[in-house]
Amino acid sequence: MTKVLALNGSFRKNGNTEILLKQALMGAESEGAQVEILRLTDYKIGPCRGCGLCLFRENVCQVKDDDVSFIFSKVNECDGVILGSPCYFLELTAVIKQLIDRCWILGHRIVKIKKPATVIVPYATRGWIPYISVQSNLLLNLMGLTKINEAAICTQGISEVVLDQEAMDLAYHMGKEIALAIREKDLTYKGEEGVCPSCHDWLVRILKDRKTVECPTCGVRGKLSMAGGKIRVKFEEKAWADNRFRPEVIYSHYTYHISPSKDYFLRTKEERKIKSQKYREYLPG
Amino acid sequence: MTQYFVKLRYYTGDALEEIKEGDLKSLGRKYRVQISYEKIENRQMKEGLLMEDTLDKQIEEISQEVITVSGDREGKFSDCIRALYKKYRCPRTVYSLLGSNEAGEKIAKGLMNIYGGW
Repeated sequence: MTKVLALNGSFRKNGNTEILLKQALMGAESEGAQVEILRLTDYKIGPCRGCGLCLFRENVCQVKDDDVSFIFSKVNECDGVILGSPCYFLELTAVIKQLIDRCWILGHRIVKIKKPATVIVPYATRGWIPYISVQSNLLLNLMGLTKINEAAICTQGISEVVLDQEAMDLAYHMGKEIALAIREKDLTYKGEEGVCPSCHDWLVRILKDRKTVECPTCGVRGKLSMAGGKIRVKFEEKAWADNRFRPEVIYSHYTYHISPSKDYFLRTKEERKIKSQKYREYLPG
Repeated sequence: MTQYFVKLRYYTGDALEEIKEGDLKSLGRKYRVQISYEKIENRQMKEGLLMEDTLDKQIEEISQEVITVSGDREGKFSDCIRALYKKYRCPRTVYSLLGSNEAGEKIAKGLMNIYGGW
């Protein structure tokens, strides 16, 4: 039996996020999936300590007294994920970011684990959600998952979403969709295409040459142009080689940007010790 | 007279286009600086990927392309570094200037802060 796991980034019990996730799980269940939901704020997710041990000693995390390993083990056990989070201020909630930071421990994962994921984000005010896809794409990519759909749903007060039948139907459909994607091993994207053909986000970043734009999540570069009165972003074929979530690029990042930093760190030990002394003594914490 | 000397270390995927010695020589002539190129290759094909164990290795020994620039005229030296960054983009790592002298590093790092956003 296929397993679908919902990760809930909302603190609210039976709030809009939880209702939409449960509705999606009911959809998945209707397709024969076994379902489970984790409210992330019920678990202890400590901040990344930035110690680097997981980078320099594979799979060793210094944070031992929290539930992050349990959450990642649940992701490993399931066949598909539904990620839900409210958007309060332009982006997802802090617990999602906290989990993203802890994904260093998964950073050695250079191959996608070929599991589908879908994203549901309730939000209150139209136009106040520019960064939701950056964060959800980042978390899903770091966990090795493939996003097959996403939905931002405009709703506000606690549990008000039940009044929006269209939203409830959509969530149910997305749950069914993920169960079908698992069964049919179909990881194709089923949502609305964005500007970036890889992560499907609408954001682009203007680079300092003022000629080039970049998908901030994937790091793929392209050019802006106008065609038929519409803004067009053209990504060159060769630019896809730079997609930061390609296994080769992740591998290079770890191999050449992170691992050798240990040598630099050791070489600068004495100088760092001398120059940082006054900060150890000033306002000692 | 101040000597400006810098090593720019590019790792796999860092340079936006192929670094060609001919292009570097042209830049050297244009900006009247000494410029040289060294490629270090230690990657081996494993599991369909070119792989290399870089942990606990000396930075200078791992696979990389190193562009070395030296000159004694600050303006020309700066212009050359700027041209290299525009062509290949800035090197990406905190240790990418390792082996440079203080005067060269100061200029290369300052220009990175301007052009390093891409």
